[in-house]
Amino acid sequence: MTCNPELITGYVDDGLEPAQRTEVEAHLVTCAICLEQVAAERALHARLMALPSPEPRRGFENELRRTLHRARPSPLRVLLPIAAVLALAVLWGLRMPRVLAWELARDHRSCFSHDSLPAEVWSDHGEVVGAWLEAHGVPAPPFPDSASGLSLVGARRCPILDRTVVHLYYTGGDRTVSLFVVPGAVQLSDAHFRGTARRQAVRIFRVAGATVGVVGEHAEDVAEFERSYRSTQARLTPQAGGLTAVAALW
Amino acid sequence: MDLTARFEKEALPQWRSLFRTACRLTRNVDDAEDLVQETMLRAYRAFNRYEPGTNIRAWLYTILHRVHQDGLRKKRRTPGLDELPEEGIPVPPPQAFVAAGGEDLSRALDKLAEPFRSAVVMRDLEELSYQDIARILEVPIGTVMSRIHRGRAQLRESLVGGAS
Repeated sequence: MTCNPELITGYVDDGLEPAQRTEVEAHLVTCAICLEQVAAERALHARLMALPSPEPRRGFENELRRTLHRARPSPLRVLLPIAAVLALAVLWGLRMPRVLAWELARDHRSCFSHDSLPAEVWSDHGEVVGAWLEAHGVPAPPFPDSASGLSLVGARRCPILDRTVVHLYYTGGDRTVSLFVVPGAVQLSDAHFRGTARRQAVRIFRVAGATVGVVGEHAEDVAEFERSYRSTQARLTPQAGGLTAVAALW
Repeated sequence: MDLTARFEKEALPQWRSLFRTACRLTRNVDDAEDLVQETMLRAYRAFNRYEPGTNIRAWLYTILHRVHQDGLRKKRRTPGLDELPEEGIPVPPPQAFVAAGGEDLSRALDKLAEPFRSAVVMRDLEELSYQDIARILEVPIGTVMSRIHRGRAQLRESLVGGAS
């Protein structure tokens, strides 16, 4: 081994694999320069460890405890979201695709406004993402790797209304697409919707027993994505029943 | 034991260690207190996702690092803020430490560029393992080793330069 100062640092910190460690130890027997680095880094580490710790303001710990105490969920804070969810569940039952369209558009925009997408699984292969979803108890109907010039990048599970929804992310250029999949049947039997929600074009439609929705900035993109999704379903799922899928394009 | 009681038993006692690191990251006691408050608050709200028995320090440091990075990003989005003089109470050096020459080291550490400072602080002040630091900073272990190496090299250089 020739001199490798970074490995010497790793050796000092006990951060090397056993084989690397043995190699470095053998090298140190013959290299005074690296041996000197070991001594210098150990001495520096000891001095850094001895640096005094600054003190916070008097009463900071109490203030911290008070902050946490205030953050405790009060019964009201717990009950209000439950009441909201119940109300929304009623809206599902009342067959209000507009509520669903609004929620999906909101979630889509929220996710893509993050500095990085809050995906739990990253892959541009539908099979990889599909296997991950199935392993995590939320199987989704087959979905395209790409559509309308947009490619799959990843997915996450997210709560929408009263249930956990699979959220698949697609990007292409400056456009982004979300495909939402709702496990289990929902009561949207007349779920045909074409309109706007949160200033985005929205379509909700049914394909092979599943309910699908597309949300996008441009009506023509939304129409194209609907066509792509329908053709994927026709090719991959002759019997896609019992699941609801909703797609959002932005 | 409910979630709040568990949080108070397992996570809350770590606040001093978080504060020590926060001081080094922010170089300012007021900002460090804010950073610790926000970190603890986020940790408390997410505590149901913490897996009992796993490394609580690494988990808290991951949150601390993210909160700190969010703060830096916001600062960068506010034009001119970097040029403003730092407000708040600067970290005071105890007299015994000044006499031992520790102030030079403290100042040199504060001057380290951010990616190196975080890695050196987590390793040399908090003694976190390379594996934990890699998870916290979301970088490979090789990058952790490289950042610590370069950070220490710069520190040694500053100390030698300051002494001459």
